[in-house]
Amino acid sequence: MDKMLRNKKAIAFFMLPAFLLFTLVLFVPIVQSVYYSFCEYSVLTPPKYIGLDNYKAILSDKTFKIALKNSMFFLVFSCVSQLALGLFFAALLTNIEKGRNLFKNIIYLPCVLSSAALGLLWMFIFSPSLGISRLLEDMGVKEPPLWLMDTKGTIILPMWVIAFVALWQYVGQSMMLYMAQISGISKSLMEASYIDGCTKPMTFRYVTLPLIKPMVATAMSLNAIGSLKFFDLIFNMTEGGPNHKTEVLATHLYQQGFKYSKYGYASAIGVVLLILCLAVTLFINKVVKTEQYEM
Amino acid sequence: MSSSKKEVAALDPSSKKKITPVQIVIYVFLTIIAVTYLLPLLWVFNVSFKTNKEIFTAPFALPEKITFDNYSFAWTAGNLGTASLNSLIVCVISLVLSMLIGSMAAFGISRLHWKGSKLAMTYFLTGMMIPIHCVLIPLFTRFAKVTQFVNNNLGIEGFHLTNSLTSLVLPYLTFSLPITIFIMEGFFSSMPNELIECACMEGANIFQIFFKICLPLGRTGLFVTGLMTFVGNWNELLLAMVFISDETKKTLPVSLSKFVGPYNTNYSQMFAAIMIAIIPTIIVYCAFSNKIVDGLTAGAVKG
Repeated sequence: MDKMLRNKKAIAFFMLPAFLLFTLVLFVPIVQSVYYSFCEYSVLTPPKYIGLDNYKAILSDKTFKIALKNSMFFLVFSCVSQLALGLFFAALLTNIEKGRNLFKNIIYLPCVLSSAALGLLWMFIFSPSLGISRLLEDMGVKEPPLWLMDTKGTIILPMWVIAFVALWQYVGQSMMLYMAQISGISKSLMEASYIDGCTKPMTFRYVTLPLIKPMVATAMSLNAIGSLKFFDLIFNMTEGGPNHKTEVLATHLYQQGFKYSKYGYASAIGVVLLILCLAVTLFINKVVKTEQYEM
Repeated sequence: MSSSKKEVAALDPSSKKKITPVQIVIYVFLTIIAVTYLLPLLWVFNVSFKTNKEIFTAPFALPEKITFDNYSFAWTAGNLGTASLNSLIVCVISLVLSMLIGSMAAFGISRLHWKGSKLAMTYFLTGMMIPIHCVLIPLFTRFAKVTQFVNNNLGIEGFHLTNSLTSLVLPYLTFSLPITIFIMEGFFSSMPNELIECACMEGANIFQIFFKICLPLGRTGLFVTGLMTFVGNWNELLLAMVFISDETKKTLPVSLSKFVGPYNTNYSQMFAAIMIAIIPTIIVYCAFSNKIVDGLTAGAVKG
């Protein structure tokens, strides 16, 4: 049997397809992307090495700064809000028996729907003459907010609106992750804490929370990478407008690369995005992940 | 022992059969949340049956009469039928291939003995952290070059890697591999050694062991990874938008985004288009919601 499991041909048969695909479609392009980021490259001109010029250009690019700021805002907002609200929903749902599945499934529903379609849907809800603004006008509010058109403040209103829509769409996932972890905690631990005189909130604070800490790391890195990759909702709700104020890294990359065909420049944005993704994942796993408890 | 259990039951509010006041508050709160989740969808559903004029005069009232004109128009003008079919083709092909290739690699890593299997696993796992945006430009230019090369040098006309569904299947499939390999590796390495030894005694070769024993036993894992892959690819917008410009090859999210936009002024049709895009998912979700939610969560927990 050992001979069979060491058969070189069998190993090649099982490993080669995945290895080739992974290398050719994922790994080589990443390396190429890094190379292109040091090149001047567009539809008409082949790649020509120009050193760090693309990165210098990025630093003086106003839209890039806005995009980076917005992406960072999304990152922080989604990590914090998804943690808080996801945990809150999970805590509520684990306290009821009847109808738990119904509520759980309703809250999870937007996670499986196309965010392109949902983006369009919310775009209409926040458009000036329909949806919420119309409802407010009918109720007697004189000048309802401009929602997706407003440009005042450091974090402008459209960003908050989009961030809330994103929270609405994806909080179900965080909720489910925390619920899965909470229901994995053994009943006897809970009972022990009740016998020791803990109230329900105290049990949640001192027993449940420490035990779901590893899941916090998992959920947070999922949220963080998701929020950095964020594209569909913004593209369909504002397309980066008004005046590039709601641009994020992914939409900026798309604009530069495929509207203006600046491949080299867009690759540099992609490299920044990649570094951010890797850094954030490592950071969260270092800071949040602690020892695993026996459950 | 039994008396202490009773005490615990009395102390633990959740084990009482009666609904406590706290739970009533929870139910009220959850109902409000559920309404905020369903109301936007119901509103669009309602509006999609109205005429364009009605939308602006009374956006919140029920439609005067129900017609499916908006739907039939959106279906034909937005090319949504072709788009749905394209999406289905792309997603099913990448689903089947990623499950097959991914579990083959997972089997190779977890069950076959060779140096570097650990290293290979690490190599595949790094793929989970890489956003698809980073490979957009190199893939786009590479596909064009390959097409040109094949057309000019090999003399095969009509070969198109750009602007074809293949250009979507390749990256979708590849980006699903890391999670598939990761989850399936877990399943395969937890299978008992005796199983494979037994099969070996009975004279099964390595391919029979994989296809007839390990793969069927790992079907829970296959379901989970397949679900994640399918949902993710079905909703993917960026790649599909960049790689496909031919109207007849666009996938559903792209056709929808193109149809619903600033150049279209017929709101009721746009609402109908949105509904067409999400109704199939909602129906499937309603039918298998518990399985879908648990499957996707299991996948995310492991990933």
